[in-house]
Amino acid sequence: MKKLRENPLLLSAVIAIVALVASFWLLNNPRSTLPFLLTLGALLAALLQPIPKWLKVLIGGAILLLVIPAAGFKNSFLFELGIQTGIYAAMALGLNVVVGLAGLLDLGYAAFFAVGAYTWAIFGSPQANEFMPWKIFPLPGEYFYLFMLIAVVVAAITGVVIGSPALRLKGDYLAIVTLGLGEVVRVLANNLDQPINFTNGPQGITPIQRPPIDWFIALLEKFGLQLSRAEAYPLFFYLLVLVIIGIVTLVNIRLDRSRFGRAWIAIREDETAARAMGIPLFPTKLLAFATGASFSGAMGALFAAKQLYVSPESFTLIQSIMILVMVILGGMGSIPGAILGAATVTILNVDLLKSASDYLNDLRNAGFTLDLGFFKYNFANLPNQLEPAKYERMVFGLIMILMMIYRPEGIIPERRHVLEMKEES
Amino acid sequence: MLEILIQLLPSVLLEGLILGFVYAMIALGYTMVYGVLELINFAHSEIFMAGAVAGAETFILLKGVIANPFLLLALALLIGGTVAAVVAILVERLAYRPLRKRGTTNRLVPLITAIGVSFFLQDLVRLIEGLWHNAFYRRYPSFAVFEATYNLPNWIGVITIALTVWVGFWVLAYFGDWLLRRFKNRAPAKGRTLSLVAAGLTLVFLFLYRHVVFADLGMTIQMKSILVIVVSLAMLYGLNWLVHKTKLGIAIRAVAQDAQTASLMGIDPDVIVSRTFLIGGFLGGVAGVLFGLLYTLVHPYVGFIPGIKAFTAAVLGGIGNITGAAVGGLVLGMLEMLGGTYLTFLTNGAMGTEYKDILAFMILIFILLFRPQGIIGQQLGEKV
Amino acid sequence: MSEAPILEVENVTKTFGGLVAVNDVSLKIPRRMIFAVIGPNGAGKTTFFNLITGIYKPDKGRILFDGEEITGKDPAWIAARGMARTFQNIRLFGSMTAVENVMVARHVHTKTSYADALLHTPRYHREEKKALERSMELLEYMQLSHRAHELAKNLPYGEQRRLEIARALALEPKLLLLDEPAAGMNPQETEDLQKRIVGIRDDLGVTILLIEHDMQLVMSISERIAVLDYGKKILEGTPEEVQNDPRVIEAYLGRGAAEGASS
Repeated sequence: MKKLRENPLLLSAVIAIVALVASFWLLNNPRSTLPFLLTLGALLAALLQPIPKWLKVLIGGAILLLVIPAAGFKNSFLFELGIQTGIYAAMALGLNVVVGLAGLLDLGYAAFFAVGAYTWAIFGSPQANEFMPWKIFPLPGEYFYLFMLIAVVVAAITGVVIGSPALRLKGDYLAIVTLGLGEVVRVLANNLDQPINFTNGPQGITPIQRPPIDWFIALLEKFGLQLSRAEAYPLFFYLLVLVIIGIVTLVNIRLDRSRFGRAWIAIREDETAARAMGIPLFPTKLLAFATGASFSGAMGALFAAKQLYVSPESFTLIQSIMILVMVILGGMGSIPGAILGAATVTILNVDLLKSASDYLNDLRNAGFTLDLGFFKYNFANLPNQLEPAKYERMVFGLIMILMMIYRPEGIIPERRHVLEMKEES
Repeated sequence: MLEILIQLLPSVLLEGLILGFVYAMIALGYTMVYGVLELINFAHSEIFMAGAVAGAETFILLKGVIANPFLLLALALLIGGTVAAVVAILVERLAYRPLRKRGTTNRLVPLITAIGVSFFLQDLVRLIEGLWHNAFYRRYPSFAVFEATYNLPNWIGVITIALTVWVGFWVLAYFGDWLLRRFKNRAPAKGRTLSLVAAGLTLVFLFLYRHVVFADLGMTIQMKSILVIVVSLAMLYGLNWLVHKTKLGIAIRAVAQDAQTASLMGIDPDVIVSRTFLIGGFLGGVAGVLFGLLYTLVHPYVGFIPGIKAFTAAVLGGIGNITGAAVGGLVLGMLEMLGGTYLTFLTNGAMGTEYKDILAFMILIFILLFRPQGIIGQQLGEKV
Repeated sequence: MSEAPILEVENVTKTFGGLVAVNDVSLKIPRRMIFAVIGPNGAGKTTFFNLITGIYKPDKGRILFDGEEITGKDPAWIAARGMARTFQNIRLFGSMTAVENVMVARHVHTKTSYADALLHTPRYHREEKKALERSMELLEYMQLSHRAHELAKNLPYGEQRRLEIARALALEPKLLLLDEPAAGMNPQETEDLQKRIVGIRDDLGVTILLIEHDMQLVMSISERIAVLDYGKKILEGTPEEVQNDPRVIEAYLGRGAAEGASS
């Protein structure tokens, strides 16, 4: 392994070959999990290992834009996985600003996701007719992009409103107060169907408009791809998510390398010293909080459009915890870490645990008997309660505990970049 | 309208008081661990839950064996408390101690671990219960003796109303005085003056509403509620004795003040931390059994809401302060019942009982912002 | 204006519980002076620093900095007005590089808006370059340029102390507070530090207020010294005056020792 690292040419070759093999395997077996994971592994290795930049772009572009979409047409679940990973990655990056950079433990992050989702859900569906004087709703799908921006603003404002009391508190209290305020937002979504029906309560809101994609279908036709609307939407959302991830990552990097990023890390490392260096505590924290919230809000609007349906169920504490687990797993303060964490946890949660459940169910239904000679077990006796997919809390809890005890810096630890003197052009 | 509210008041407050005792006992676990380790033990709500579930199992398993419900309850309390204490000690050993030994500087690390433990325990109990019974909801059996209802004499209700109204007027008078001080630059009124003004207004109020106050208020109490109060008082008294009169209690207080110095005096902080988890866990477990007795249905996720409320109670009373946690629990229980009942009533059901959970958070934030040291309790200076 | 003292402390008192940490202390520190506060352990020196820098709010009394009242103001606000400090127990931002540590203190002097940072406007590049250049200059000045891109926590002890001073200087302070800057240094390092402190005053025109236990250092560079004991200022004067005063020896060594010394 060490030898491999020291020889960039060999390293590049190995990664390229693995990527190629994995891609072909995936294209031939779009329904199995293993080739998909290997493809992602190759993608990750290409992006993180010290190989030439053009090769990174080539491998990354090929896998993200060709291999996965091609496999996705054979198995649309891959698109679903890709979109969900993308949404969570963007949120993990947002939470990374709050938890990773500024060191503020926010346990109510899903609240901003809810705010963003409801912002588009209410106005992109007939729901707004319930309380608005003009009966012009749902707004046409073109407004989606505008509302994504509005969701960013509304979520940021919510962040300021929630943060204003919460961020004045010292250390540990912030965690429990954000947890409480996150619940408050969920309870409000659940109960604001009366006296005036804003959110339609526990029933949720549906159907929600999607952005129109006629232009996208026409564009694909020019490339010789004939797709129906139902086939084109997953691809469209997948590509949209990729674009958003790109933007969000760029924003994250730029903030990290500005005076704001430095101020956040200073506060995380030592509040007293940061204040003594002229960094005002509360405004700086509030800025981090609102920044993180706005990422979450944007993804909420996208989520509403993708799902066609929102309800308070989607914005529980476990959602907030899941995103936190992504950040912790990847490495607090680390941008590639947040993306890796999001991919790992999403795949674990929506794919692996469910596959394991299905596998156990199959064994149970088939009445399979395990015979080790000294130990015999008939899977027909397996209790119905044993479904890995229902034990996400245990999985998340275990990840948190083990990471904190054995590797608190995460899989890809935060690495401070080297600042270089650049001549002004 | 107001008549009905007045009539309801004593019953609502009594209910709140009973709930408050449960909160108080959970809050003690939070406050003791915070006192010793300066850690919000998020897992404490699951330690409470473990006690509640273990209590349910005891009841269900032994119902056919032991006929006397009181003996059964005693056993359930003992087993529930013990199971919770064991869980608490294991959590400390397996999750928190390794972090302490490594000596991490990042203050998020122990907190995140605690949250992880909390979630892990929820599903662990679910798994155990699921494998055992193929279902993870458990119900406390009901006994006629426990459900029996007793009437309370009217004077208790009258005194309750009088006291509550007096407290209400006192708070109003205090705010009035505060406003005068703030905007008219008047000297602050004496505490005694405020009390007298409030007392006078209370008398007027009682006279105006004498037809409600002195009519039959219909206050009742169930046997199980009496048991909750008796058991809680016994536990609180026992804890007070333990902390102030025994060697262990002195050692716990010493470690809470300064672990390093305490260890120089021959006290092993690890042992004391372990004992603290044991005591806090046992109280939490007993609270769990009492909670089950009151509300019958328990499951692996039952700890979350009471846990947060009990934490609020601990903060309300001043975190790290044992008396404060007890007082905070009682006050929160009563405030919550009042708020929950009256809010639903006043808004004609438009704002349902879920809003009462919000109320607790609002109190938490309010207290943390304006009186972070709690009702009782001292603020400690930051070490630089 | 420049004749007025840079710092005026008037009758400042601070109590913790029943303990009076700083008791009715008044001080005037003229501009461009090197002023030392000495006293035995627990005399309230660090509390006094924390009061001046705004970390604690005084119970009584007031503090004027550069002619402006700063009593009870936020530490960041005070720092932005030109008061910088170091800490007794080094408080660097460990997981940032040395140069980033210094750049943190450039925060108030960097005029990049949030939008500038996101859009990488010309102003962002200009301001970042300025901040980086100034920070590198200060590292150079404190002889740390070779460590610029290393994480602060990986620096050896003496260099961490120097880095703290570099970081403090990045605020462009009018007043620099040094809390035991020579603690844990060997004699060679202390001697370097001594020259450096005088240099900072001479080169940058910064007033310096320091707490120090190393009497040799204090006596050789301070122009005026105040002695704190049990939170009270028992004496103020030139190094000669302080050195020869029995009250100082008494404060440090106890009553018997003082009698023995004076007889």
